[in-house]
Amino acid sequence: MLFFSFFKTLVDHEVTIELKNDLSIRGTLKSVDQFLNIKLDDIMVLEEAKYPHLAAVRNVFIRGSVVRYVHLPAGAVDTALLEDATRREASNAAAAKGR
Amino acid sequence: MSFFGFDTSLPRDRGHPAMAPGFSQATDHFAGLSNADDDDDDGIDFEDTYDGLGDKLDEKDDAFNDETFGAPEEAIGKDFDFHGATARVADAMEEEHEVFNRSARNQSVARVAAAPTQPARVEPPTHVPVLRPDMSLWGSGPATTPQPEPQPDPTPVVPPVGRKILSLEEVEAQILANNEQKHQSSFQQPPAQAHQLPPQHQHTPPIVTPQLHQYPPPQHDLHQLQSQQFPARIQSMLQRNQTPPQVQHRQIPEQHPGGVPLQQQRMQPVAQPLHPSRNQYGMTNHVPTPQLQKMTEAEKARFLEEESKRLKRNHKIAQLARYNGLMTPADKNFITRIQLQHLVSINNAEDNANEDFYYIVHSAIRARTNPQQPLNQFAQTYLFRQSARGRNRQQDNHLQRMEQQVQRAVAAAKARPKASQLVLEGSLGKISFSNVKTPRPMLNIKKSDTSGGEPIRRTQRSTFSSADRKSLLRAIENVYDALLELEVHERERAKLPILMPDQQPQQAHVEWSTRRDQLVAKLWKETKIMEPIDPMSTATHPFIAILSYSKMKRAVQRIFRHLDPEQRVTVLTMIVVHLDILDVVKHGVYLPDETQLPSAVREEIEMFAASVLPPLLGYVYEAPLSIVIGLLGILLERVDVVAVSKTKIGLAFLTMFSSRAEIVKQAGGAPENELQQWQMMYDRLFDSLQGHWMECFPPGMFVDDVYVWQFLASIAVGANMPQQQALVSAVKDRVMENVRASKTLPPELGAQKSANVNLFMRAIGLDVELLG
Repeated sequence: MLFFSFFKTLVDHEVTIELKNDLSIRGTLKSVDQFLNIKLDDIMVLEEAKYPHLAAVRNVFIRGSVVRYVHLPAGAVDTALLEDATRREASNAAAAKGR
Repeated sequence: MSFFGFDTSLPRDRGHPAMAPGFSQATDHFAGLSNADDDDDDGIDFEDTYDGLGDKLDEKDDAFNDETFGAPEEAIGKDFDFHGATARVADAMEEEHEVFNRSARNQSVARVAAAPTQPARVEPPTHVPVLRPDMSLWGSGPATTPQPEPQPDPTPVVPPVGRKILSLEEVEAQILANNEQKHQSSFQQPPAQAHQLPPQHQHTPPIVTPQLHQYPPPQHDLHQLQSQQFPARIQSMLQRNQTPPQVQHRQIPEQHPGGVPLQQQRMQPVAQPLHPSRNQYGMTNHVPTPQLQKMTEAEKARFLEEESKRLKRNHKIAQLARYNGLMTPADKNFITRIQLQHLVSINNAEDNANEDFYYIVHSAIRARTNPQQPLNQFAQTYLFRQSARGRNRQQDNHLQRMEQQVQRAVAAAKARPKASQLVLEGSLGKISFSNVKTPRPMLNIKKSDTSGGEPIRRTQRSTFSSADRKSLLRAIENVYDALLELEVHERERAKLPILMPDQQPQQAHVEWSTRRDQLVAKLWKETKIMEPIDPMSTATHPFIAILSYSKMKRAVQRIFRHLDPEQRVTVLTMIVVHLDILDVVKHGVYLPDETQLPSAVREEIEMFAASVLPPLLGYVYEAPLSIVIGLLGILLERVDVVAVSKTKIGLAFLTMFSSRAEIVKQAGGAPENELQQWQMMYDRLFDSLQGHWMECFPPGMFVDDVYVWQFLASIAVGANMPQQQALVSAVKDRVMENVRASKTLPPELGAQKSANVNLFMRAIGLDVELLG
């Protein structure tokens, strides 16, 4: 749930999604779910000339499993908090295992 | 439209097979509407099939008709005049015309004359239909009374034998009587019916009443026949006589099951002449004029408003109806299940803080910095967004009910015991089911708990002196865990009831503070700061060891917040005692041929300056002089001051002490014996550094040496005359060098450099400007 929790805070920020088919899409993150499916608005394909069929597309829904990378806006990420959240996650997992 | 009234629509035109197994029959509420706009599909219209060849004929080129047809113009006979012949032959028809013309007297006289042989089957005069004034005559009439072309009737209607022919007067009297009767009975009719009946054949454009005309199938053939054989007026009369079944069918479209579109498609062309202003959804523009006339102005206004509302609503429904039937019930169930699962996890409050830690804290921080953006839970957004918007009470009701249902469903799902894993016989591991939190099922491989890892680590922890990197990192993690626990607990303070200053703390407050104390104690223990210092041992003290990691450096500031003054001074003392073996000091000394420290060391130094120094400085700048004296005493006693003074962090500590003491001294009020003690300490420090002043400077001319000048300034302020002279003569070259350099450098850098030097110069009562 850490990544879900994390991506939720990036809603309405601009991100670049790199897909496993080498397509890179930049757009405003509109929503994300626990499968890390992603909805983008006002999208722009980075290599527009290579993918002309996407020139007219304004928003997309991306299945989480086809995402290779998400380029994050550095300003919107609280690294210290992210570290803490990771620690919480780890301790939760440990607690769940012990249960 | 089919000429003979057969159903010519093809199966593929009949729309979605709503009755077929596997398809929802309840979902097709608006199917009638959705199919209404393609009502041309069901038959063949003249306009659609006519190829337009006739338009291409040149009508002017009749000049050679004689040559072509070989007959003079006068010789044209009358044997093609079928119409005239028919008129002459059918005497009986004359009678029909008479009756017809009278009953339809509000048709224009001209029209009656133009179609003298119009065949018509007329109702027996014994029940002359109710006639109403046609508003179209007074307004925009003609468009709404279509003129059917007279055509020879293939099945001439023979009038009933022995029937009495009524005179005009008789017919009128009958109509009047009928009208009166109708008028009275109309009050007893249910309002809906009274409302919907009149519009049937009254057309005036200004007010629009959407109505859907759907006729029961049995009437179909009759209508087909009528539309071909009778003029509109008669047809409307006939229709009115059939109204009871119609009323039943002209209700809100939702009540029709999926079968409707078929009927409607077929019926559209029939109804066409009656309702020329039909819109694309099969709705007509109607005005229930007589009713309108009876109303007062206020009622009228209200009525019109309602009508327009209804029109809007129907339009909306029609637009939405395009997407009907896209999902099967199974699809919907699937989605509902996912949503419920999601809600269950979201509403699970105690899990929330754990699972959604980043989001919750991040939004809390953002809400603090940006109060305009309220912190909202996803579930609230999900459920309550619409209810905030909807002002309609009925809509609110629905939403409330839905919320309740969701809450019940969530509660039920939570109550159900969850089997999260399945162990198959003979399998190597457990198969865990996917859920919201772990969408991907994973195979849990069984691990034997008796692995040797644990005990070893435990022994390592107990003998911390021989700590390796891994156990140090583990120790830092323990610090963080304790810190996080404490911070979460601190956050819970907000949930406690607010105490008035004179109020006794309640049970909750007492519990909270005991728990807090426990957590602070745990955190204190995890920092390992209380481990005894063994001067003989070669091993680093655990606290200093873990402080060499930047992770721990970052934590110091957060830890400091929870410590009491005594614990703070302990931390400070611990660092001062080990100042020379502190990683940032040990590695912060420039090697002889170095002009720059390795980048890793520089990063560590910066991290230390940014995270560890500020809380320490904050403490020292409020500490009493005795503590400063004590700390400097320890420093001079246990640490190699000359080595420390060669580093940035070491100098920062020395600056910290000397400047604090100077401030206390100048503020006055410090006890005399403490001031004397401080003077002794200062002299000791000065003596030990005497001859090493230039070593404080980092190598190279263009490096950032402001911290050295700061240190020199803090030393110079407290120095006596001989000390100042010694100091000046020691660093004179450096001062001159800097002043020279500041003149050759670009203005900004130069100003910076001379300002740095000036820090020191001012402290001894001079200024760079004086040096020319």
